Amino acid sequence: MAIREHVRLSGWRTAALLAPATLWFLIMLIMPLIVILIFSFGERAAVGGYGGGFTFEQYANLPARLKAFQNTLTYAPLGTLMSLVVAYPLAYFLALKVDRRFKLFLLVLVVVPFWTSLLIRTYAWIYILGGRGIPAILEWVGIEGVRLINTPTAVLIGIVYGYLPLMVFPIYVSLEKLDKRLLEASSDLGGSPVKTFLQITLPLSMPGIATGCMLVFILLMGEFLIPAFLGGGKVFFIGNAMVDLFLQSRNWPFGSAVAVSLVVIMLITVSIYMRLAMRNKTGADQSLM
Amino acid sequence: MSKNSDKQITSKELMHQLWRYKRGSITRREFLGVTGLGMATAVLGTAIPSLIPQKSWASELGDRLVFSTWPNYWNQANLDEFTADTGVNIQVNAFGSNEEMLAKLQAGGTGWDVFVPTNYTISNYVELDLIQELDLSRIPNYDASANNPKFAGPAMVNGKVYCVPKNWGTTGFIVNSNKITSGPKSWKDFFDVTKGEGSGHTIVHDYQLTTIGAALCALGHSFNSIDPNELAEAEAVLIDAKPHLFAITSDYQPGMRSGDAWMSICWNGDATQLHNDLPEMQYVIASDGGEIWTDFYAIPVGAPHLDAAYAFLDYMQDPAVQARDAEAHGYAPTDSRAIALQPEALATDPILHPAEELMNGLEFGAAQTLTDPNRAELIARFKSA
Repeated sequence: MAIREHVRLSGWRTAALLAPATLWFLIMLIMPLIVILIFSFGERAAVGGYGGGFTFEQYANLPARLKAFQNTLTYAPLGTLMSLVVAYPLAYFLALKVDRRFKLFLLVLVVVPFWTSLLIRTYAWIYILGGRGIPAILEWVGIEGVRLINTPTAVLIGIVYGYLPLMVFPIYVSLEKLDKRLLEASSDLGGSPVKTFLQITLPLSMPGIATGCMLVFILLMGEFLIPAFLGGGKVFFIGNAMVDLFLQSRNWPFGSAVAVSLVVIMLITVSIYMRLAMRNKTGADQSLM
Repeated sequence: MSKNSDKQITSKELMHQLWRYKRGSITRREFLGVTGLGMATAVLGTAIPSLIPQKSWASELGDRLVFSTWPNYWNQANLDEFTADTGVNIQVNAFGSNEEMLAKLQAGGTGWDVFVPTNYTISNYVELDLIQELDLSRIPNYDASANNPKFAGPAMVNGKVYCVPKNWGTTGFIVNSNKITSGPKSWKDFFDVTKGEGSGHTIVHDYQLTTIGAALCALGHSFNSIDPNELAEAEAVLIDAKPHLFAITSDYQPGMRSGDAWMSICWNGDATQLHNDLPEMQYVIASDGGEIWTDFYAIPVGAPHLDAAYAFLDYMQDPAVQARDAEAHGYAPTDSRAIALQPEALATDPILHPAEELMNGLEFGAAQTLTDPNRAELIARFKSA
């Protein structure tokens, strides 16, 4: 009797504890998604906005944004890969090479840029990459005619800069946990540093890599600020297409159809990615995803 | 601690303002990085005191007024004086585009008392029943006879007056004459230079009204055309020019100032700012057409502080107040009494007050130009091409 009472009580308690999160998901995630889904089958009202109706016209019109989808699907993975290439040595250095005394200080330095808005920092990059910034320095040393701002290169630089901490930290955490005795054992058994890295360090840091890539990739798929600022409106992501559709041409139904398609594309890519990442058992256990 | 959290709220609010711009990213008063921050701070400066409940001491006007306008488009000294005179605190909201204002008013519940629409939006607002007919007897400072009917005209819809004018201007293009020496005079020249000596250094606006309008004028069509065939021709002009563009953005001052861009579609207030700092920046009113516009003060339907709104409109129509307002942002007043009070340099500035014959080809933007879905889709296709 007492036990049953306890079970019932704990059931109530569980429900009460779950309620805020459930409500949050319902109101903040599910409901807006349903609204977007409904809008995506509607028509644009004469002066803009949502005009009701039921049509597949918006989805049929999706090829009009093909280039934006292509750009996003090219630069999001590329940006993720470049962030990884830049972030891994940094995380490795921080986790394994730095003296304990400086570690905290250096970690804080990685986070410091986050204290200022990405908007402001990206705006600053307009000047760094503009004619009077890096190209002027290059000209001074004799390399002329370099154009950075408003090119895909500028967008990729902005992406690596903006998303670096998101990639560094998961990798850092997995490297930090790494049992140093394994490295010693490897070298005792005659493993070269390269072999040790490839056979021990890298596989054991895979969960961090998987998490970091996922974080950066998902955010990049919806990115619009960096292409707008550093691409000069010429490197157009699907995020930019959506901002335009909702705020400028106020074609909410088409914007919704684009949004729904993006969600579908994300679900597909992320599930393929997770399947690949999960093949590694340790990855499945330790990764945040 | 409380100081600290105040500071956090402040920076958050600041970012909110900035985001709004960048997302809208289309206004003719698009701000530069630094001045923009100054503006947002000004917004905060006015917004925060008005949020603190205060006893009304002056009159039945209440203690609060919500004013929605464009970035960098008011003189804080005027607002402060109005508050000192009446006890009405003014909360200023700055918007990036007419589309954004329209979207807010359509959604309802804005709480705005006074806002600043551009000529081509007014008939839409009237049709959607979003703005009030004005009782001019409550705005004695407004003198219709002092306003050129050409500028004040759009305030009248179906014989009723819905707004009073604020400032007017033109949309042409700015040329860095040190870099581009052929002296383009028309939109046709603009696009030829873009594909020729200016290749890689031209900016067009991220705004359908002006960018499509420019292409239409270059073809000899109306700035306001919504004819599908003419729009298709304009699209071809734009797509053809796209590989030669430096950027598609309404935030063109940084590019022009850094020397990366040599030519840009430009609103004349920005042109004045650029020309004053860099004399090689020459503003051109295109010989084959372009835009002329007027901004107005209007009161939305359901304005919560109607008496304060009328008092504010009347105050802002005072010629001395108008002259001070123009001093802050550089755009020309429509009211001849205010122009008479301006410093000589501003009152006769050829960029702000071009000769009448130069403006012969200019058109006011039309209501359907703003809302036409084909134009909206055209600019989006051009950008994603």
